Amino acid sequence: MNMVEKILARASGRRSVEPGDVVVAEVDLLIMHDLSGYLTSRVFDKQVGGEVRYPERVAMVFDHHFSPPTEDAAAMLQANREWARRTGTHLLDCGNGNIHHAVVQRGLVRPGGIVVGSDSHTPVHGAIGAFAVALGNDSHAGTVLPHGKAWFRVPETVRVELVGTPPPGTTARDVALWLVGRIGEGGLIYAAVEFAGPYVKELGFWDRWLFPLLCVDLGAKCSFVEPDEVTEAFVAGLPAGAADRYERSDGGEASTVLRFDVGEVAPQVACPPTVGNLADVPDVAGRPVQWAELGGHAGGRLEDFRAAAAVLRGRRVHPGVRFNLVPSSRAVFTRALQEGLVLALHEAGATWFPPSTGSNQAYNMGAMAAGEAMISTHARNFPGRNGSPESSMYLAAAPTVAASAVTGTITDARELR
Amino acid sequence: MSMSTAVGGRAIVFGDDVNTDVIIPGRYLVSIDPAELAEHAFEPLGPEVQQRLRESAVVVAGRNFGCGSAREQASTCLIGAGIGAVVARSFSRVFFRNAINTGLVAVECPDAVDAIEDGGEVLVDYTAGTVTVGSGTFTFAPYPPGLRVILEAGGLIPYLMREAEAGQRG
Repeated sequence: MNMVEKILARASGRRSVEPGDVVVAEVDLLIMHDLSGYLTSRVFDKQVGGEVRYPERVAMVFDHHFSPPTEDAAAMLQANREWARRTGTHLLDCGNGNIHHAVVQRGLVRPGGIVVGSDSHTPVHGAIGAFAVALGNDSHAGTVLPHGKAWFRVPETVRVELVGTPPPGTTARDVALWLVGRIGEGGLIYAAVEFAGPYVKELGFWDRWLFPLLCVDLGAKCSFVEPDEVTEAFVAGLPAGAADRYERSDGGEASTVLRFDVGEVAPQVACPPTVGNLADVPDVAGRPVQWAELGGHAGGRLEDFRAAAAVLRGRRVHPGVRFNLVPSSRAVFTRALQEGLVLALHEAGATWFPPSTGSNQAYNMGAMAAGEAMISTHARNFPGRNGSPESSMYLAAAPTVAASAVTGTITDARELR
Repeated sequence: MSMSTAVGGRAIVFGDDVNTDVIIPGRYLVSIDPAELAEHAFEPLGPEVQQRLRESAVVVAGRNFGCGSAREQASTCLIGAGIGAVVARSFSRVFFRNAINTGLVAVECPDAVDAIEDGGEVLVDYTAGTVTVGSGTFTFAPYPPGLRVILEAGGLIPYLMREAEAGQRG
């Protein structure tokens, strides 16, 4: 069995499972953000009722609002707070960061566990060695909250092996975006996608993070990186400390293996309308942008602010661009302060925002008018997601976002003089 | 069982990769009321499409329908708009799960998708595993019993509540 199969077998009390089996398994963590938490808690109270079986296994993170901009939003957050207090679940209130980054930094996600959430990027927790799946609100309200369980079909595994060393200037984010273009959106519907190979093994934890994150765009059910010494060292540094349990493959082949050489991958931009609409940066360079942002599920990492500071050293943000910096967690902002990145980027003309999910869906910031364009580290670029359907969202790596903020047009950071 | 497992009516046809931001924009996600959500279903495509949606009973789409967010409202807004079934080449995994859990019939039947015309009549029988379009009948793998009982109860929560009551009585 591989990691996913072992976790599902253990959590369902079976000796073994095979792809295609349907199991009812114990859930170790349910994560909800301020929007899905509101819906799930209301459905639970009105249609299900009773006690939350394991409140310590439920976390609500207010990440779409670092501060409510309207009375309605304030009332929603107030109802969520009251529910979390009443049921005894974890609450990470406004200012704690992006849902996925915040629960990892808090030490709530543990290797070998099962994580479910309404957010479609929940499978990202496969980066830490968990089995993580997106479910709808009714699954949470109907089975996870009252019983601590959910049903799962054991998925077939597709191993994506990455070899080679990309050229200087190409980051892990570029390779991850490029893969969506190569494999194709919806190319791996229902699969468990394992990211493996020497390229992945050499990445640090937060760069590995970017690969399971994109599995939803491939149509996959979940994704993971087999835990190794990098994972163990990362987990040992979290508040909950070293993990006492890891699930690892005991050999056996994935049903399908896809191999890619990343040796010639150029910096990438995902153009509207979808994540799979990729171009090499030089092919779209020169398109105007009025907004740039480091934030969202795929950004706001310390690595992103370091990259932006390197690009902006001796330069300034273009007067026609608003460059938003949104730390993915409080831990990241602390480190950015300690490393001098906060002052450097502030003085270069960028604007710091509170830890949150930033402009994702424009709940508390980041709406665009018709004709405007943003380049960002966000995970989605569907038209209309950030204000006008006539605005454009381009997705890229931090160096490209920062270089574009300097010139006011999509810019290859390698060409910046 | 005499209960009908066929749903059908006029079809509204969409293309590939219809995402959840198109089906129901994120700003309306504070609601779980199907009727309220239905007012905003497919809003990004304009009022003409929304009007045709309300006059239709079956949504027909290409591959990867419902990709994007895990939002359950992508399914409930269609139910609110009077849609009884979605026939597509393929679904995103979470949309399919949400459809069953909210009581919306969702079937993958590429041959039927090829045959259905916008505004034409379609009949879906999920027990027989057939999609009828005019004089033609196309087949798909019928739902396993586990999914049928959830659909027939009107969704996951009604199903679980009914089971819990039966358990207490039994």
